[in-house]
Amino acid sequence: MMTDAATLAPVQPRRRALALSGWDTGVGHALMILVSLVCVFPIYWMIVTSLRPENAIFSTRLWPDAASLDNYAYALRAVPMQRMLVNTFIVSAAVTAVQLLSGILAGYAFARWRFRGSAILFGAVALTWLVPLQVVMIPNYLLVARLGMIDTLGALILPHIASAFAIMLLAQSMRSFPTEVVEAARMDGGNHWQILWQVIVPNLRGTLASLAILIFITTWNEYFWPLLLTRSPENSVVQIGLQMFISSEGTQWGPLMAASTMASLPILLIYLVLQRQVISSFMKSGLR
Amino acid sequence: MKTTLLAVAVALSATAALAQSMPAEVTEPVTITFYNYNLASAGNGADATRKMIAEFEAAHPNIHVEGVPVQPQDIATRLQADIVAGQSVDLVQMPFAALGFAAENLGAVALEDIVPAEELAGHFEGMVPNGLELGRLNGKTYGLAYTFSTPVLFYNADLFRKAGLDPDQPPATWAELKEAALKIKASTDALPLATGIYGPTALDWLMQGVINSNGGAVINADRTEMTFASPEAIEAIAMLRDLAQEGITENLSITAQMEGMAAGNTAMYLQTSAIQGYLVKGATGNFELRAAAMPAFGDKPVKPSNSGSALSLHSTDPVKQRAAWELMKYLTSERGYTIITSEIGYLPLRPSIVNDPEYLGEWVKAHPLVQPNLAQLEKLAPYVPLPGPNYLQIGISMMDAMEMATFGNDDNVAGILTEAQERTQRLMP
Repeated sequence: MMTDAATLAPVQPRRRALALSGWDTGVGHALMILVSLVCVFPIYWMIVTSLRPENAIFSTRLWPDAASLDNYAYALRAVPMQRMLVNTFIVSAAVTAVQLLSGILAGYAFARWRFRGSAILFGAVALTWLVPLQVVMIPNYLLVARLGMIDTLGALILPHIASAFAIMLLAQSMRSFPTEVVEAARMDGGNHWQILWQVIVPNLRGTLASLAILIFITTWNEYFWPLLLTRSPENSVVQIGLQMFISSEGTQWGPLMAASTMASLPILLIYLVLQRQVISSFMKSGLR
Repeated sequence: MKTTLLAVAVALSATAALAQSMPAEVTEPVTITFYNYNLASAGNGADATRKMIAEFEAAHPNIHVEGVPVQPQDIATRLQADIVAGQSVDLVQMPFAALGFAAENLGAVALEDIVPAEELAGHFEGMVPNGLELGRLNGKTYGLAYTFSTPVLFYNADLFRKAGLDPDQPPATWAELKEAALKIKASTDALPLATGIYGPTALDWLMQGVINSNGGAVINADRTEMTFASPEAIEAIAMLRDLAQEGITENLSITAQMEGMAAGNTAMYLQTSAIQGYLVKGATGNFELRAAAMPAFGDKPVKPSNSGSALSLHSTDPVKQRAAWELMKYLTSERGYTIITSEIGYLPLRPSIVNDPEYLGEWVKAHPLVQPNLAQLEKLAPYVPLPGPNYLQIGISMMDAMEMATFGNDDNVAGILTEAQERTQRLMP
């Protein structure tokens, strides 16, 4: 009996714990579903609004009475959206590639080389992170004008060739890379170039992927620099295209929502395909 | 200091250019830039602007026009950057609020200094004298009114009927407006009145019209003293405060005001007629939208001010000056104003085209909402740009104080305005 009692005694609390856990899980799931709905609703509303006719744009119905793609047709006709999307993709991809490259090279130098003034130099690079782009926009603009690059995609990429954030993140990752592995590679006769590209970079794939996603999304959403630099819609980017539907004479909500849906698609695709990496990149770098 | 250096640089280059006179015609191919804020947004404004540029280029094969889209709030800073960067700035669609700054600091050229007097007089013939005054500073023409408009009172005729009001008798004075608004408040859920007087993009254009209509002014005629704490101005702001205290109007953002009116949730809306197209789209099939003249203060004459922009010429090269002037002439011709009025929604500076079937005759008949705006053209009291490089700070400080006096907790309207007037006076050049 004693044995039975002793055996049974702990079972009851476990059952209660299981029951509580089930209840907790149910509440948790309900809460998460609710939060998810709140998060998804603006995207849903953007899409629904993009399908509404002009005179029903302020309707609060959850689905338009007469859904149509007119706003999409108008947005594509009024603004060179396809060209802007291609431009934005080129600029975002190029900035991602060059920032990763400069970040890898500078990060390796800071992490692996000991040279006089390295700490000061690293501090100086870190300080540039604190300077907002708006502060250096006009000097950058004058420089780009002197280079004859106004209204070119190259000028949209140029100021973003190096990023303090990328350098700091990669330097930190490389510092925490096991020195034994690097030493082993050196004993095998590898030089710095080989160690960087054959040993370190392949092992930092996760960090690099996270960083690439962050850079791509940030560049995709860039607004102020293209606003100052571009002189024609054909050489501009999609964020400027969206702004074109907003004016002091009124916001064209239907076409704006259609253009926003089109502009969001590549980023939504990145989220869908690389969901885990995106979340991990935000966690690694802090919320940006 | 930076502004002074910029002004000196601009003045030196302009002086050098003025030494040569503008040729009578453009004989060699030339490209000019046209900084334009209609091109910075999608829709009718951009389409009409591109159409006008295409027509102009077809008629002037030697002149190529490069349209540069710039948001209106960015024009002054963009021009500063472009002038310093050595970019060619030839013709600019300049918001009226920035015209004084453009003349004093951004190299806007007085037309009297470059265009032969006879040619200039010939082009001005047929233009509304009040409209021409819009671009005049210190006796010279630095801008030609391009896309400009006056404030009109849009109203929802259905809500008027619901409140037992006659939509054929819209309020003509602020007192009548208050009476109508109280009835609307009592019998509907709608916001009785919204005005575009306050807001980050409004600055003081509409406020100047309100205060002028009560016999005051925000600044004196020679633009040396701020006068918005005068008894007339205080009375005008106190009237707005009374409307706010009665719950007739609220301090909404411009976007919220426009959307409220377009969605049929606001009964009356005092705003530039330039938003007419936007309101019509919302009203179609939902409610009857009408427009009336700006309300008066009792039997005092209404003095509506103007929103919008002028064309200012900034070229320093004589050939480009001629090309820019030719474009300016075309854009402010009978044909230009026909397109501007019928396709963008602004006022024509040439009244003769209004009833001319070759130009706006048929269009005006089909668009009765434009009538109050046209009728106000004769009563127009031109917007006075605030002076000096601090014009924006002056305008923002003044409007912040007026907004606080209208919607704030402090009933001391006179005290708030007097303190702000002293503060802004110190920012004057």
